[in-house]
Amino acid sequence: MSRTSNRADGDIVRDFLSIADLLEEPQLAQLYAYLAQEGEATVQDVIEDLDLAQGTAYSYVNRLVDTGVVEVTQDEQPRQYAARAIDLTVTTTAGDREYTITPALIDAVGRRETNSDIDTYIDRHGVAGLATALTYAVARERGEVTHRLMAEDLEISPLAAEMILQALRPVVHEHYDFEEAGAGLGELDIGNGTDDT
Amino acid sequence: MSQLHIADTGLFVAMGQPSNSRYQAVRQFARRNDITFVLPERVYEELTVDDLDIEAPPVDDAIDEGWATVAAPLEFSEPIVSRAMDGVQRYIANADERPADEVERADAALAALAAQHLSAGMVTEVYIYTTDIAAGEGAETVLASEGYGDSVTFVNGFRFIEDLVSNRS
Repeated sequence: MSRTSNRADGDIVRDFLSIADLLEEPQLAQLYAYLAQEGEATVQDVIEDLDLAQGTAYSYVNRLVDTGVVEVTQDEQPRQYAARAIDLTVTTTAGDREYTITPALIDAVGRRETNSDIDTYIDRHGVAGLATALTYAVARERGEVTHRLMAEDLEISPLAAEMILQALRPVVHEHYDFEEAGAGLGELDIGNGTDDT
Repeated sequence: MSQLHIADTGLFVAMGQPSNSRYQAVRQFARRNDITFVLPERVYEELTVDDLDIEAPPVDDAIDEGWATVAAPLEFSEPIVSRAMDGVQRYIANADERPADEVERADAALAALAAQHLSAGMVTEVYIYTTDIAAGEGAETVLASEGYGDSVTFVNGFRFIEDLVSNRS
């Protein structure tokens, strides 16, 4: 095996470990998702938008830079930071199953800090369970699966399935495109439903 | 012209608690238009399940306030009711490439309830409010094949509530 390919293998493992860090620490995941959404940001932006203390913000940003998932895009002060794209596919040895760790999953984990439904779900089912729920959330918005099918497959109550699907809906709409389905209020043939009468 | 408004679990989850502006917007909509949301029995059972991790959606509040009610059991002796049931189960199974007998019957209960009321001539228009696109589109498709294409509308529960809330603000 050539030197360069050995090195590339090492990069993959490094990415894998960095991403595992993100998935274990919702604050880091939240920061990564923020940078991915903003494009570029300064530590001052992070402090203001994520409501972090200055020391905490610097420490988190530096950790993400050290692990390689965030890069410095402008070295002059104030420094600008940007998220590096994450797209890591994990395959089982049998080769029959694979899962791609996407920014959507990191975003979902990051929302644990601010969304009690996601927090509760991770408490009960772990980040691995959340990854599964996210797959169902995408399929449901595509009209391929219902909350009841998810509940049956995962042996949880239909209500618990609906709660996590709704909690993840903003995440999947942020990261994927869907065709609009079903009628909205304007298409209902109902009196003048919104008049103040 | 009489209408039937069938609500699925997701609509009540999406409203939040009674202190939430989404809940209040739906209640105001129901009251102004003299609408009572009808829940299939299975939907009511889902919403009132005993799960310590979950704050129960306020379906009993809505029932007490008079703008939601639980439907009587489905009349499976009516052929159209069982046909609607089977049809929607097949539709959803097909969307997810799984056997129809694995599809939860509550998904199909929305369409079956609509079919029962339409065929009895009790209503001329049915709105099905759900957050499950497969269930909503399945109901529209199957009831269209029964000749009720113009009488059934799948209302996307999320869009409906978002529209109501943005109208209020």
